[in-house]
Amino acid sequence: MESTLDSHTKSTDCVRDGMNLTRREFIKGVGLGGGAVVLLGQFGIHGAAWALSGDPLLKMVLVDYAKCTGCQTCEAACSAQNRPVTVAGRELPGLGNPRFANIRVHRFNPDVDVPSVCAMCSDTPCVKACPVDPDPRTGRRALYRDQATRTIRNDPGRCLGCRSCARACATERTGVITPNPATGKPERICTLCGGDPQCVRRCPFGALSFVEVRRDRKFYGLGPEQIAAELAKGWYGTAEFGGAQ
Amino acid sequence: MSVKPGYHGVVLNIDLSTGRSEKVAVPPEDLDRFVGGQGLGMKILWDRLKKPGVDPLSPENPLIFMPGPFSGLPVPSSSRTCVVTKSPITSPVESDYPHASTVSYSNMGGFFGPEVRFAGYDGLVVTGKAPELCYVVIDDGRVEIREGKRFKGMRTDAFDRAFQDSLGDRRFKTVYIGPAGENLVPYASIIHTAGRAAGRGGMGCVMGSKNLKAIAVKGSGQPGVADHQRFLAALEKARSALYGTAYAKSWAEQGTARAIVANSHAGTEAVRNYREGTFLEADKIGGDAARRDVWVKDIACYCCPLACKKSGMTRGKYGGIIHDGPEYETGVMLGSNLLISDMPGLLKAITIIDDLGLDQISTGNVIGFLMEAYEKGLINRSFLDGIDLTWGSVDATLAMIEKIAAKEGVGALAAEGVRALSWHIGKGSEKFAIQVKGLELAAHNIQANQPRGLSYVTASRGACHMSGDNIAMQNRRAMLDSTGMCFFPTFEPALEEPMLAMLSAITGREYDKTLFEKTGERIFNLEKLFNYREGFRRADDRLPDRFFEDPFTIGSKKGSVLDRGQFDAMLTQYYKDRGWDPETTRPGEAKIRELGLDSISEGMQK
Ligand code: SF4
Ligand code: SF4
Ligand code: SF4
Ligand code: SF4
Repeated sequence: MESTLDSHTKSTDCVRDGMNLTRREFIKGVGLGGGAVVLLGQFGIHGAAWALSGDPLLKMVLVDYAKCTGCQTCEAACSAQNRPVTVAGRELPGLGNPRFANIRVHRFNPDVDVPSVCAMCSDTPCVKACPVDPDPRTGRRALYRDQATRTIRNDPGRCLGCRSCARACATERTGVITPNPATGKPERICTLCGGDPQCVRRCPFGALSFVEVRRDRKFYGLGPEQIAAELAKGWYGTAEFGGAQ
Repeated sequence: MSVKPGYHGVVLNIDLSTGRSEKVAVPPEDLDRFVGGQGLGMKILWDRLKKPGVDPLSPENPLIFMPGPFSGLPVPSSSRTCVVTKSPITSPVESDYPHASTVSYSNMGGFFGPEVRFAGYDGLVVTGKAPELCYVVIDDGRVEIREGKRFKGMRTDAFDRAFQDSLGDRRFKTVYIGPAGENLVPYASIIHTAGRAAGRGGMGCVMGSKNLKAIAVKGSGQPGVADHQRFLAALEKARSALYGTAYAKSWAEQGTARAIVANSHAGTEAVRNYREGTFLEADKIGGDAARRDVWVKDIACYCCPLACKKSGMTRGKYGGIIHDGPEYETGVMLGSNLLISDMPGLLKAITIIDDLGLDQISTGNVIGFLMEAYEKGLINRSFLDGIDLTWGSVDATLAMIEKIAAKEGVGALAAEGVRALSWHIGKGSEKFAIQVKGLELAAHNIQANQPRGLSYVTASRGACHMSGDNIAMQNRRAMLDSTGMCFFPTFEPALEEPMLAMLSAITGREYDKTLFEKTGERIFNLEKLFNYREGFRRADDRLPDRFFEDPFTIGSKKGSVLDRGQFDAMLTQYYKDRGWDPETTRPGEAKIRELGLDSISEGMQK
């Protein structure tokens, strides 16, 4: 394990995320409770380099799982913000059915709640998976990183609904992309609410924060099941859990 | 007909006998007058049961799952579901009807009620009886009754996982019964998220009588609101009234478990089958101990900023994962009341009771009664199938719990509750069979708390600690439990104004404190009319003799005991203030007219 990691840290220019992360610190950061193993297992050998690099321009919503109570207020707030309604000619936040949120709280048994939200990956496996040729003018596929907001956007006009992006995200990262059941087009990708994340603002327990993307954080980019298993092991001494709501 | 704002205007009717389900419109005036939750559930029950004496376990008795107007909106703590039905537990001293019983309701936190509203309904009404064990899946407008034999006998924790996995979508919210409900234990519960319960009043028994193991629901809709902008503004105020406050933090810190030690000091705790109000070892099972040794996570219901629920883990002989607890009720009923001070043992009992799908309160009360009868030599060890049921014994308690859920041996009789047990045992044991109308008392003791005694005897579902200690509180509670909001945040005075503003903005009906309580009064009176029609009279509003005869011997309230004369005088005054006949307890014609219940009560015997 150590040598694998070593070879990649040597062969890549990995310590330039503004934090000047050394290999030792990286191991410390993710090494808690087998984090390093999980990380490498998750992203594979080729992903290790990516996992060590950084992009200070990217920001994301970060979850403190120990503080999350599973109340779903973040979902309701996200849904309200991102599905506004027009009332008497004015656009207002909607009433927020959590089903349509871009952050999704996964509940397990034993009791572990894992809010899952786009990791704002700098290497965008979701975008890379898109088979639509880049537009010669904009360079965009049907899925692309919006340079203004730095979030991942879909161009429904060019999207084939092939679900490749959702598959890529699910197998390689968080799995937040939910294809529309009818059209197959990707939904539920965090918009960062134009820079003022409502989930962060409304969480009653301070479990969410709006931070720079740093891939050396424990659980970064992982899917909810993996995170839940790790947490359950630490909290209840078991990695065996069922999919309770 | 246009839909009233704040509502879908329909409930989903599921008839398990015919296998048919359909949307049924709710009369708009009922939404105004009975709101939702406990109130609208009561009105639906009244409309469905046109005559008294219906057998609660017959297909005719509806099992009603009611969210309220707050449900399905991002209102803080708008998480509650009120389950309403005719009680399989209570009965009057005297009645013309063999199956006479009170209304029953049980209020449960979590995520179910909001999801019912997302699916497009203001409530679910289950009637009939399936030929074999089944479950119901509701996905917006799609409703399926599916064969559920493979889940037969499954305990709730295992079922929670297996059922969710079988549904294949974590967004389904589920409620279900355990073996106790399938076996028709009268005080069986309905469980949600493996650790939340509609515990009291026999909900799981009625569900079991319908051969219904579980309901799963999810939805993509939402009711509209009358004034969107006003709602959003009031919502922000409600959030700031609670978010980050010392009040909210104290709930997150210990939940209701804080009261385990506090009430013991105050002399208001159920200890040793209600013989005492103080448990000398309360600190071993209280909130501080649980925070130190057990809890790993604070858990909140839908959009709740309090997070009073706790999960945790214990080690050793009784070790295991804890979905919730100790809470005040569970910790006292299985702890102080049985003199159990071993925290892991206590939590094992709590966990098994939920796992089997029993009501924590009635179960703890029944076992306390049996411990006392055994200590006094009124029953022997063979009566208890060889269980050495002594005070404080965890193993004996666990063994009794299993017997009750299985209705096996002594468990068959114990499943009928303390009143039935005392009738069977006799020898003066009625004095310490701690129940009203057949429903066991909860974890609040009353020798030093007469107002709570009033709550127990006048509550509509039998002995209920939550009904309210006076008329104003009772009316307020009945209304609150009709909105879908939880009781706990409402002790925060700053929430009052935004709560009323939200309710007004949602429904388009201008609620102030007076209308809020008046509506609650109507609901409470309809419950009373229902019970009166069944045959309940003043003689049924009666406390066991213990509270008048056995003064506390320890604690800060040592020597306290209720005075019969005083208690009766208080009760007489209560009926008068309610506008009820103090002899019969029938709501008077003037009160009935004032509340607009005259058309409803027409034809009822005077
Ligand atoms: S609002 Fe906060 S505490 Fe609630 S589920 Fe979301 S992250 Fe967790
Ligand atoms: S959608 Fe998935 S793969 Fe794409 S950036 Fe977000 S987490 Fe990464
Ligand atoms: S679903 Fe659309 S955006 Fe996603 S990979 Fe296919 S074409 Fe691209
Ligand atoms: S930042 Fe905005 S879009 Fe992203 S999850 Fe939070 S509320 Fe939703």
